[in-house]
Amino acid sequence: MSHEYVPEIATDREGNEHEVQGWQDDLYAGKLGFWLFMLTEVMMFGAMFLALAYYNTLHPQDFLDASASLNRLLGGTNTVILLVSALTMGLGLLKMRAGDVKGAKLMIWATIILATAFLIIKGFEWTAEYNHGIFLLHDKLLPESDLAFGQKLFFGLYFSMTGLHGVHIIIGIGLMLWLLKRINAGQVSTKHHILHWNIALYWDIVHLIWVFVFPYYYMIGAGGATGGH
Amino acid sequence: MDTNTVNYQKERASYYKVLVGLLLLTAVTFIQPHMFMTESTFVAQMLIAVVKAYLIVMYYMHLKGEKLITAMVWFSLSLVLVFFIIVIGIDVSNFQFGAESHITTAAEHSVGAAHATPAAH
Repeated sequence: MSHEYVPEIATDREGNEHEVQGWQDDLYAGKLGFWLFMLTEVMMFGAMFLALAYYNTLHPQDFLDASASLNRLLGGTNTVILLVSALTMGLGLLKMRAGDVKGAKLMIWATIILATAFLIIKGFEWTAEYNHGIFLLHDKLLPESDLAFGQKLFFGLYFSMTGLHGVHIIIGIGLMLWLLKRINAGQVSTKHHILHWNIALYWDIVHLIWVFVFPYYYMIGAGGATGGH
Repeated sequence: MDTNTVNYQKERASYYKVLVGLLLLTAVTFIQPHMFMTESTFVAQMLIAVVKAYLIVMYYMHLKGEKLITAMVWFSLSLVLVFFIIVIGIDVSNFQFGAESHITTAAEHSVGAAHATPAAH
C-alpha cells in the first residue's frame, strides 16, 4: 500500500483549482497536538490523585499503615527500570535524528525489554498481595472484612492507579512495536520522525506519572515514627 | 551516520546527566524517611517528585525553550491545582457529613448511622 503524498485540490467559486497545503511534515504541529493529548492524561491521573488526596485527608493514619505494608524493594526496582527505559527511549530518538537508524532500533528494543521487566515485577508484586488477601473484591478488601476502612480505600486506589498505569505500559509496548514496523517499512526515517518523537513523549509521560505514583503509595509510610510499622 | 555533530554529543551528555540526577533523587527518596524531614515525609516525597518531574519535562520531553507548549502545560496544571484547592482545601476542611458518609466509615456502619439519624429526630 502506497503512502505517497497526494495533494488535495480545492476549487473556488470561479472554478479555479488550488492545491491545499499539506502539513504532514509539520513537526511542531505534531508535537503540539500530542502535548494536548498528554494534558488530558495529566487531568485524568490528576483526578485520581485528587481522590487519593481526598481520602488521605480523611484517613491519614490508615493510609500511612497501608503504605508501610507495600513492598518498597520491588516498587523501587520498577522505579529504576522506568528511569533507565526513559533514557533508552530518549537516546533512540536522538540516534534516529542523528541518522543512526540501527542504533535507534536497538534502543527501542531495549525500552521494550525494560517495559516488559516492569510488568513482570508488577505481576509478582500483585500476586504476593493477592496471596496476602489484598486484592480488588477479594478477602481483606471485601466490605465485611475487619481491615481498617481507610486501608481498604488506599488499596482500592492503589490497584486502580497502578493498574491503569500498567495498561499505559502495555499500550506503550504496542506503540513501540508499531514504531519498529514503521521504521522497517521506511515510513519513519531520519527526516520523518514525528511518530518516533511522539511515542518517546508518550513514554516520558508514563514515566512521569510513576514519578508521583511511587512516592505517594510506597514511601509516605516508610518512616518508622509516622509509618505505623 | 552522522553522530559526531555537536548537537548529538551535547544532547547525549545532557541525557546522561539527567539520568544521574534522577538516580540520585531516587536514592534520596529512599533515605529521606530515615534521614531528614522525618515528620513531614509526605511533603518531602512530593517535593522530590516535583524536582524529578521538572528534569524529565524540561530535558527528556524537550520543553525547555518551547514557549507555547510551556504555557499550555502551566494552564493545565493550574486547572488541576484549582480543583485540588477547592476539593481538599475548602470542601474537605469543612466536611459536615462524617456521621452518615460512606467515605469516612465503612458502608455497613454508615447504613447504621443513616438509620440512627432519622430515629434521633
